[in-house]
Amino acid sequence: MKHVHTPINFRENAITALQDKALRKALRKAMDLFIMARAVGVSGTPLETWREKASAIRMRVLDDLPAYLDTFSANATKAGAVVYRAKDAQTANDIVFNILKDRGARRIVKSKSMVTEEIGLNEYLLSRDMSVVETDLGEYIVQLAGEPPSHILGPALHKDRQQIGRLFQQKLGVRYTEDVSELIKIARNELRTEFFRADAGISGANFAVSDSGSLVIFTNEGNGRMVTTLPPLHVAVLSIEKMIPSLSDLPTFIRLLPRSASGQTLSSYMSVITGTRKLGELTGAKELHIVLVDNGRFKILAGECREILKCIRCSACLNICPVYRVVGGHAYGSTYPGPMGVVLTTLLNGMDEAHSLLDATTLCGACAEVCPVQVPLPKLLSTLREKRVIDGFTPAGERAAMSVLALAMKVPAVFNLGQIALRFVWPLLQGTVANGRFSGIDPPAKKNFRRRVS
Amino acid sequence: MIKDDLVELFCSNVVRAGARAKRVTDTDGLRDTVSELVRGAGSVYCPCVTEMEKVLTISPQTLVADYLKAETTVEEVAAGIAETGTVVCLSSSGKALQAGVVTSHHVAIVSRERIFADLDEFFAWMGGLPPTNITFITGPSRTGDIEQTLSVGVHGPGRLDVIIC
Repeated sequence: MKHVHTPINFRENAITALQDKALRKALRKAMDLFIMARAVGVSGTPLETWREKASAIRMRVLDDLPAYLDTFSANATKAGAVVYRAKDAQTANDIVFNILKDRGARRIVKSKSMVTEEIGLNEYLLSRDMSVVETDLGEYIVQLAGEPPSHILGPALHKDRQQIGRLFQQKLGVRYTEDVSELIKIARNELRTEFFRADAGISGANFAVSDSGSLVIFTNEGNGRMVTTLPPLHVAVLSIEKMIPSLSDLPTFIRLLPRSASGQTLSSYMSVITGTRKLGELTGAKELHIVLVDNGRFKILAGECREILKCIRCSACLNICPVYRVVGGHAYGSTYPGPMGVVLTTLLNGMDEAHSLLDATTLCGACAEVCPVQVPLPKLLSTLREKRVIDGFTPAGERAAMSVLALAMKVPAVFNLGQIALRFVWPLLQGTVANGRFSGIDPPAKKNFRRRVS
Repeated sequence: MIKDDLVELFCSNVVRAGARAKRVTDTDGLRDTVSELVRGAGSVYCPCVTEMEKVLTISPQTLVADYLKAETTVEEVAAGIAETGTVVCLSSSGKALQAGVVTSHHVAIVSRERIFADLDEFFAWMGGLPPTNITFITGPSRTGDIEQTLSVGVHGPGRLDVIIC
């Protein structure tokens, strides 16, 4: 299981990442491209109107989530699907495993699903003698490398073509090449074989439509279409907050999701899947099983950070984040990186495991500006930081310093005294406490600012 | 929007998405355009169920019954959406929609009467009871997963031709 319960050490991970020159270069290139593509994609569109509308729709769903889930389940069932509710990762993994086992399915092809990363589904199935192959090119690359994805949209963007060439050579026994079209051809051929012999396909879903019981899946490569139409058995695993009320709400999200992610007007492929193959149809799985995963979301829904559940996983906040842009996804040590990832991980995994992630923000607010569904990320980050202090997860030194500062802010005499005292203790602070970290900062001035201007 | 402008917008967005758009005015034009597009293809799959598919003249030597063995799929699709340059396939047509994703070249014929201005208009036309599968196709199969280098044809067709008839 990927879900490690040891605390994430963001500071240490970030230091390692910052020293990785190849990673820095790859990130810079990818992030600049994504941001530019998004800017071009949204220019000349009524973006603000769309965002307002999308945010309102998502809030409507969150305000009444149990009802939307019930309606979805009823409609999907009517269309031929079997719907399951999983309260946690273990339950979800067991449900999927049992569906596959009962039908003798051993070879599984998979299209991208973040929630299956969250619950560690691949490891779970692999450890039970099943073959699970990721078919999104980026996911396939990181799976071969034995790494988690480092970005929601571009799971392998931390790797350059030379690294991928060597990986293919080593794992697939092909001749080394760093030609991108050659590499893609190799992956295409390998994955073709998998698609045609697969017993089952596992997918996620970008949206689930309550009043029709449909799943909506976006892909650019076409692997999502293959995973959901070639094998006779389709298992979709999605988190409960993916609901939208109706198909008539879908256009707003179609306009926002690909544009925010990659600047595209629409991804190459979008499938709206409603139940199983009907009489007279030649498309659609014979069996469709839909697993709705809670795994802590109802708890989030009841709290003050519920708006994070509006997130549609476009990754625009990752691309714009000054922290993500330099450290990359792996430094977060969590399934979801970047601003939305910090918030969601802290809420899902708990403060004791994830509190160090709250340092992975400058609170600059860029994430909120690009978010297509107006998740107030800086507000949520501040709320969680406050909670971190209250829960006692900040270092004792920091807490002591903050209490002194709070007193100084309240009592002018203490403030003045502090300024004078600081001049004398500066060398001590410099040498021992800060361990040289203040070396670029001038010592406090003899005559302070207030006295100079008054 | 008048129909000609709509078709014009549709075509320009099809091209913007990385596909090619061709307009024909009658069945002769359709037949010739398709023949031209599949010339050189070793194997072509066509469901041959709709009127437009039936008028096509694809050489019997290249025509295959199994789309898994075809290089090119030629078919009429259910609709076009001008806003995005998208063609839409419906499973209720009785066709195997996967035929349009497993081949390396996809030729999609769309009736100009079925071109909708935007996504909202399309969904309004669809109504509340969708078929098992609605597939929206906007340009060829693509990936940027290796160094953000845009490459087409990773799993699905690297080439998409849209004919408006």
